[in-house]
Amino acid sequence: MRPIELTVNGSSHELEVEPRELLVYVLRERLGLTGTNIGCDTSSCGACTVLVEGESVKSCTMLAVQADGREITTIEGLATNGELHAVQQAFHEQHALQCGFCTPGFVMATVSLLDENGDPSEQEIREGLEGNLCRCTGYHNIVRAVQSAAGQEVSA
Amino acid sequence: MLASTELQEGRAIAATEAPAGGYVGARETKHNGDLFLTGRAAYFNDIVLPKMSHAAVLRSPHAHARIKSIDASAAEASAGVLATLTGAQIKEHTGPIPFFIDPAVFGGKTRDNFPLAVDKVLMTGQPVAAVVAETAADAEAALDLIKVDYDVLEPILEADDALKDGAPIINDGWDDNVVITLPFVEGDAEAALAEADHVIEDTFEMHRLSTQPIEPRGNMAVWEKDGSLTFYGSIQNPHPLRLHLSQALGVSESAIRVIAPFVGGGLGLKMHGHPEEALVCVLAKIVGRPVKWLEDRRETLLIGGIEQTHRFKVGFNNDGQIVAIHNRIVANVGMLGSAPGWGMAFLSALGFPSGYKVPVTDVSVQVVSTNKGIWNATRGYGKQGTNVVIERMVDLVARHLGMDRIEVRRKNMIEKDEFPYATNSGLNIDSGDYHAALDKLEELLDYEGLKREQAKLREEGRYLGIGITFELTPESADIPGTIVGGFDSAQVKMDPSGNVTILSGVTTPGSGNDTGLAQIVADEVGVTIDRISVIQGDTDTCPYGFGNYSGRSIVSGGNSAVLAARDIGEKIRGGAALLLEAGDEDIELIDNLARVAGAPDRAIPIAAVAETIYTLNFAIPGIPEPPLESTRVYKPDNIRHTPDEKGRIQPYPTYSYAMHGVVVEVDPETGAVDIKRIGIVHDCGTMINPLFIEGQMAGAMVMGLGNGMSEELKYDEKGTPLSTRFKAYLMPRAGDVPAVELVHQITPSPFTLLGTKGAGEAGVGGGMSVIANAVDDALAPLGVTIRELPVSPPNVLKAIDEAGSNGGRG
Ligand code: FES
Ligand code: FES
Repeated sequence: MRPIELTVNGSSHELEVEPRELLVYVLRERLGLTGTNIGCDTSSCGACTVLVEGESVKSCTMLAVQADGREITTIEGLATNGELHAVQQAFHEQHALQCGFCTPGFVMATVSLLDENGDPSEQEIREGLEGNLCRCTGYHNIVRAVQSAAGQEVSA
Repeated sequence: MLASTELQEGRAIAATEAPAGGYVGARETKHNGDLFLTGRAAYFNDIVLPKMSHAAVLRSPHAHARIKSIDASAAEASAGVLATLTGAQIKEHTGPIPFFIDPAVFGGKTRDNFPLAVDKVLMTGQPVAAVVAETAADAEAALDLIKVDYDVLEPILEADDALKDGAPIINDGWDDNVVITLPFVEGDAEAALAEADHVIEDTFEMHRLSTQPIEPRGNMAVWEKDGSLTFYGSIQNPHPLRLHLSQALGVSESAIRVIAPFVGGGLGLKMHGHPEEALVCVLAKIVGRPVKWLEDRRETLLIGGIEQTHRFKVGFNNDGQIVAIHNRIVANVGMLGSAPGWGMAFLSALGFPSGYKVPVTDVSVQVVSTNKGIWNATRGYGKQGTNVVIERMVDLVARHLGMDRIEVRRKNMIEKDEFPYATNSGLNIDSGDYHAALDKLEELLDYEGLKREQAKLREEGRYLGIGITFELTPESADIPGTIVGGFDSAQVKMDPSGNVTILSGVTTPGSGNDTGLAQIVADEVGVTIDRISVIQGDTDTCPYGFGNYSGRSIVSGGNSAVLAARDIGEKIRGGAALLLEAGDEDIELIDNLARVAGAPDRAIPIAAVAETIYTLNFAIPGIPEPPLESTRVYKPDNIRHTPDEKGRIQPYPTYSYAMHGVVVEVDPETGAVDIKRIGIVHDCGTMINPLFIEGQMAGAMVMGLGNGMSEELKYDEKGTPLSTRFKAYLMPRAGDVPAVELVHQITPSPFTLLGTKGAGEAGVGGGMSVIANAVDDALAPLGVTIRELPVSPPNVLKAIDEAGSNGGRG
């Protein structure tokens, strides 16, 4: 067991973790943040995407000890004072979620994508979200949601 | 106990006024979207019960073997282990898993499927033993300690091998490997083919694929102190599952509660009949604690579908008229499981000749059991088998005659004034206008312009392909003698504060019909959607229903909600009329108000009427009777179970359809297919919510394209699955597809209350057929004929090689 300190959605947590424990399990099982989902065990689906120091990371690929001392944001921490984040709002308005299982991962990946490139082309959006799988939407409305969150006119 | 999450419930993000023209037809966003967008929606894996323990399943490494013995004693003694169970013990605890659709109902063969193999395994991955432990990791670790002694048998993997004379019979007690053969014959095909101007004889192979929702399956069982059983699962059909658990376990249905929390995609794969459902119940009984089993992706990828070969002849005349189809389909359903998958083969044959007027058809399907994995339903439920092959036939006819394929389709499609149209297999297609849809697609794509561009690029040595296909989707089935029901139920309740709860027999594994139900009820009762909650997926609280499949949720569940909501609306109108001193018929219900039509100042909040009905019922003579609750069932028209003179039944009320067009560029050096455009014209009758229909269609189309291009469940020669992870089972990603250009066409169904037809499945078969035709068209100059899916790079290169080696004759 190793002691670590994580700041998750603004609150800090001191935890004892196994050296091989994955961040996603610490978030879900120790901290009860079940909004972060798990869809695979080969780092292929992106359902588990969170922000570590503002950058999107698949939390099933990171050990909890690697996150020691770092700032983490999960889907539960994105809204402020009950106001949805612009990306959450855009996903809602553009109907970019159907079953919703991939949604937290896509929302977090989008926040990070727009942080790096505030005005992405459709191609850049599609390539930027290659790490995340969605089986329901065909990505059509997800792309529109990203465009809308970027303040762009959404394509037809 | 839920970890700060909520089960199937939720409120709209913000209070609203009803959209002008009402909620039905409006582009409402998900009424409970906030739950999903903030991580509060509870999926199966988020449910935590006190003293929860964890199960892991040991699976056969062999495709075909007898189990000589199993020794689980070392596992039993391993750290954290609470219990082990082997196939030798399973019959002490449960009967066989009932079939969702038993082939025996149709005169076919059946088998006893136990949650753990009793003495013989028929597929790699079949469960043979289980461990329950304190943690999932302990349970997994203990699996390695179980020793199984197998007598390995030669596997039979291909349907044609299973059909050979003298082939070993894999199911004990069967006389061959055929589950059932189902013929659909109209007219004398041999004679009609002999008379036709032309006959093409060819084959088409459809591969094994799987739907793979991003959330895997999971089940949890807990026996309560009173002896009742609560089952939680990522499942599509709570009430039918309750019946089947009751039958397997010998427990009264009333002592079982099945709860489906939010489901992260169903897609057919979460219809039940899987071994792990009854298994967790048995294990929970043994350990006296809740037992949870969560599928890993390797396990999800054991479940397949569709794999079938068509050997066909199509006869047609010089003018492009198709006069006869003869088709022999062989479907490889792998191990015959209790899940409803095998029935898809039935549909692949029943659907011929789709939306075309072919006078003579002789189609049959042979359903063959092998040592590949089980089938379960895959979104589209076998209709993609019909769709792909008939659309290939039409293109073959066009190419043979040098006619445009749009013209051949125009020539053969059912005309709009011919509906309702009785097909050769006895289906009764409700309504449509196929020719108008084709016109719209031509315009959307600028078909003539595309053809010019194609010709120009061909001169430059580039291979642009245009795929055009029609797709018919019979929806909302009722199959007699099975738990596939065509009706469904809804309960609508208004409380004294004027809030409305809808309890529904249909479920929402991602389709969003809960929002649709809320829209429908909001209009009928006159409240804004923020005042409506929808509860689904709980057999203790929801009225009896069949859950989700066959594009049925709005047709059956939505229309039953209309009926129940009308009952409530009538009482509110009655109460308001009394309070406002007007006639019932003068009261309109809108924006949470009951008001007198034409007199806007004479209005009362609906909540006040509700409260009055509940609190002053003795005081006000004539006020409507409480409660403000109604449970109603809706049975759509057009279903006919009395066999006609040919023994045929009509199991579908509605027939949605779509015209699809995609543009691709194929690189003949690499075999890579680049999708440039996707165009769709879709008709599912009256739309409750176009935004949701568009989302379903875009998702189905991209799934169909993936099914047709890159996804394949492969096996090695021993029957070991090779596509065991997302890195090998390649589903489309955002960069693999362009935007979806969608045009709606609306011909309301004359057979349903609101005129809706099924939605949600159309696009899957369309995606598969249109990609096959597009690649075929792209490579036509090389003499290529596409005869198999997927059109993956190796298969495309193979098709090019074959065309080259026969001198470009295809
Ligand atoms: S759970 Fe699939 S990438 Fe992390
Ligand atoms: S919305 Fe279901 S997987 Fe993306």
